[in-house]
Amino acid sequence: MTIVGTVQSPLYISRDRGTSSLGAGKVNYYIYITNDNINAKDIYTNIYLKLNNSEEYTTSSEKYENYVEDVKNDIEEIKEEREKARYDTLRKKAEDKVNDAEKELNKQKKDAENEIAKAEKKLNKAKQDIKKAESEIKTNKQKADTEFKNAEKEIAKAKEELQKKEEELKVKEEQLNSLPEVSEYVKLELEQAKKELENAKNEISKNEIQLSKSKQTTNDQIKNAEKEVEKAKQELQKGEKELSKNKKEFEEKIADAEDKLKDARDKINDIEMATWYILDRNANAGYVGFIQDTDSIANIGRVFPVVFFIVATLISLTSMTRMVEEQRMQIGTLKALGYNRKQITLKYIIYAGLACIIGGILGMSIGFVILPKVIWLMYGMMYELIDIEIEFNLLFGGLGLILISVCILGATIYTVLKELRHQPAVLMRPKAPKSGNRVMLERIPFIWKRLNFSKKVTVRNLFRYKKRFCMTIIGILGCTSLILAGFGLKDSVKQIIPNQFENVFVYDMQITLKDDIAENEKEELIKELEQEERIEKIAKTYMTSGKVYNGENSEDVQIIIPKTEEQLDGIIYINDTKTKNKISMKENEISLTDKAAQLLEIKAGDTITLEDSDENKVEVKVSNVVENYVQHYVFMTKETYEKLYETKYETNVILTKNIELSEEEADRLATNIMDKSQVASVSNIASALKTIEDMMSLLNYVVVVLIVSAGLLAFVVLYNLANVNISERIRELATIKVLGFYDKEVYNYVAKETVILTIIGIILGLAFGFFLNYYILETCEINMLRFPKIIHGISYLYAILITVVFTVIVNIVTYFSLKKINMIESLKSVE
Amino acid sequence: MSYIEFENVNKQYKMGEITIDALSKTNFQIEKGELVVIVGPSGAGKTTALNILGGMDTATSGKVIVDGKDVTTLKGKELIKYRREDIGFVFQFYNLVQNLTAKENVELATQICKDSLDPDKVMEKVGLKNRKNNFPSQLSGGEQQRVAIARAIAKNPKLLLCDEPTGALDYKTGKQILKLLQNTCRKGNITVLIITHNTAIAPMADKIIYFKNGKAEKIEINQNPTPIEEIEW
Repeated sequence: MTIVGTVQSPLYISRDRGTSSLGAGKVNYYIYITNDNINAKDIYTNIYLKLNNSEEYTTSSEKYENYVEDVKNDIEEIKEEREKARYDTLRKKAEDKVNDAEKELNKQKKDAENEIAKAEKKLNKAKQDIKKAESEIKTNKQKADTEFKNAEKEIAKAKEELQKKEEELKVKEEQLNSLPEVSEYVKLELEQAKKELENAKNEISKNEIQLSKSKQTTNDQIKNAEKEVEKAKQELQKGEKELSKNKKEFEEKIADAEDKLKDARDKINDIEMATWYILDRNANAGYVGFIQDTDSIANIGRVFPVVFFIVATLISLTSMTRMVEEQRMQIGTLKALGYNRKQITLKYIIYAGLACIIGGILGMSIGFVILPKVIWLMYGMMYELIDIEIEFNLLFGGLGLILISVCILGATIYTVLKELRHQPAVLMRPKAPKSGNRVMLERIPFIWKRLNFSKKVTVRNLFRYKKRFCMTIIGILGCTSLILAGFGLKDSVKQIIPNQFENVFVYDMQITLKDDIAENEKEELIKELEQEERIEKIAKTYMTSGKVYNGENSEDVQIIIPKTEEQLDGIIYINDTKTKNKISMKENEISLTDKAAQLLEIKAGDTITLEDSDENKVEVKVSNVVENYVQHYVFMTKETYEKLYETKYETNVILTKNIELSEEEADRLATNIMDKSQVASVSNIASALKTIEDMMSLLNYVVVVLIVSAGLLAFVVLYNLANVNISERIRELATIKVLGFYDKEVYNYVAKETVILTIIGIILGLAFGFFLNYYILETCEINMLRFPKIIHGISYLYAILITVVFTVIVNIVTYFSLKKINMIESLKSVE
Repeated sequence: MSYIEFENVNKQYKMGEITIDALSKTNFQIEKGELVVIVGPSGAGKTTALNILGGMDTATSGKVIVDGKDVTTLKGKELIKYRREDIGFVFQFYNLVQNLTAKENVELATQICKDSLDPDKVMEKVGLKNRKNNFPSQLSGGEQQRVAIARAIAKNPKLLLCDEPTGALDYKTGKQILKLLQNTCRKGNITVLIITHNTAIAPMADKIIYFKNGKAEKIEINQNPTPIEEIEW
């Protein structure tokens, strides 16, 4: 074949292309070919439907799902009828074929039988001929015998007479001899008699010879006839043998053909009822993965921006307030010059408004254009996608802009109006520095006396600027907690796989058996698997999909019924979700995994309705809520299942625990098992695991984006606050510089506070981040997954380090700003 | 050679394209332990001279010698060290750290100096024995300036530089402050420079330097300084 082009199919958007019932059970590539190539002109296994007007709805939205569901239900209604029709067509076609074959067979059978009969007749005739010939021979023989005997008798009689005559002659001769003289005549007579006798003797001899000759001839004749008969007999035997051989062959052939026919009929009976699977996009693993990823990002999007927004608003608020306060002299001047409140306020409103609009436009360019593109790029690592269509979301954009504008303009107006209450003269004088106050700590001399001078100053200063104190702490708290939550989310996501496949599902391979295999074949396979040295342990289970109902709500679950509970040891651990202790299954009760329990608000001891794949509903008590992280499962014993559904347990899935195998070796083992006739599919947990891990890595990238953003925000917060700090205290700082503080000492004078605030912020941030993480996990969690609520120690460390790094950078900047403070300018009596 | 020498000191500020000569060829000498009053109109260069002398600013050219040390050659840390150990500053607006009590403001200075005086004693000396635990906002202007002076002299400086120390004070309080400065000079043997635009207080000084147009136009030596109590304006 020639490759004519490369394709991208929406059916395979995921880099992981799902499972197959062929080969090692994994789809690696897909090709499109015309049906000429596969000789399947009128057979098709899939029909893809494009619904009218479906493009009006966003995919995976509730509206879309409902729209599709409606059509699905309609199709569901014709399903049974069409399945029957398909079945009937298939069956009729097959039956016609078999019937034709049968007719042909019968015809051929008859022909063959006729021929056999003919042959038999021929043989019989031959047999009779032989018999006849034989009896003829016998008669002839007897006749000849009688004749010969008569002839012999006559010869004997003749001989006797001859002898008598001889004796008479002898006597006569003796008499004659006794007589001296015998007439010549007599002598002649005697001589004559003698001659006559001799003639008779000769005659007899002649007759005797003749007789013996004719005897010989007759005998020969008979022998010949007998030989001929013998020959005919042999031929007959041969014929008989051949006939019987042919007959046997014929019978065998007929039996064979009949067997075949019977098989064909059996096969017709075996023709499975056609089944329509009416699936929507949710049956496509790639699509589902994509939607789930999108959902989880959307979920993250519900929480993080709020925190970002709050922190950013606070920062903007302080910036604007400070700007107004710094410009109080100008406000005073304007007021003194006769501008009214409205005009002066307007100046700041325009300034703040412009800042909001320009910042908003810039922010939206990043938020609506750059960030989606970055995230899409990350999606590209997991999915084969077309370019993203960037869309301006008026609701979010507008709402965000309006919200922040209201906050900032409100704060600006409030501050300006507050300043404007003063007389111009007051405004033109520098604002009296905030007066000092004793702090609580000073009332505890025990501690206060131990602090050295600079520490005392630090403590005093900390409590002096309460607003800044709070702002810094909130800012750092926000950043640390966002970073921690980000890392925590990453930890949780990363932990799902190990938790599921190290704590719960510890098996390596899932072997699904074909539906219709005989019990002995199953046993055979199990035996083979047990003998396979690469397999350490197997568990026989019955698995089926089902639904758990609690009132109106339901969740799809996978029901796992082990043949014996002990078999599950080392294959699947059923642990209590809280205590993490192994539980033992209770008779007539089930164990439900915890996410499903949470979604359906089920506690251990509650009674739920459990529906199996055949839509049989039973009421059953939940004995335990058990640990699980991916999908929902129900576990019950074989006895419970048999009692609940009144059916017999039947193994359909075998789970195996293998010895340590490399990925390749595991694939090879899977392929080996896949080749067995009883096996429908084999899935290797290791490869499944990799796929899920790949999918999860997308979330990780998003988390990285979040962490980076949080870090940048932290930087802005700290930098801004450091600036506020310096400008608010510029006179004080200039004074201590004049007093002869070295740059480092000036820096320490300020930085100590920052350090303490940072530490407080970090500590609070870690605590807040812990709860934020918890909250985010609760909201971000996909229904199918349970995010383990863990934050690794290293994540706390990262959160601290990143915040510290930003603090250090800001402090370095601060150091140089402090160094640059111009003492003379700052100390000029009036600014 | 005098204790303090100002030799041909120039100071130029560049304001965009305009160059302003704050000081041009300023020359004067001050002896150790003298109380010097610098008078002159606004913009005459008094403060600039004081700033250069105090190490808060550097001269564009010329030489400033203090106790044999050429201040104009000092850079960065040396300059800070000079401010730290040799100079005490008193400002018109006191510049106290609001968040520190009177005594703590003094301690702010003493904790960075080697030969500093005992803050309590200095507080007593400036007459604020009973106010030392008050915050600046709880003190009157005069009291605040006393704290500022206490902070300056507690460092035990060679030079006490005062820029319009009475500018923000009423007559009576101003007089008290000047008295304090005079006493500091006489009793503590500290060289004191006072900038003022009020020529009336000039007689209290040992030396009066008149500034005009960035120059020390006239230097008067007063052999018999008048005690401040006797000066009226």
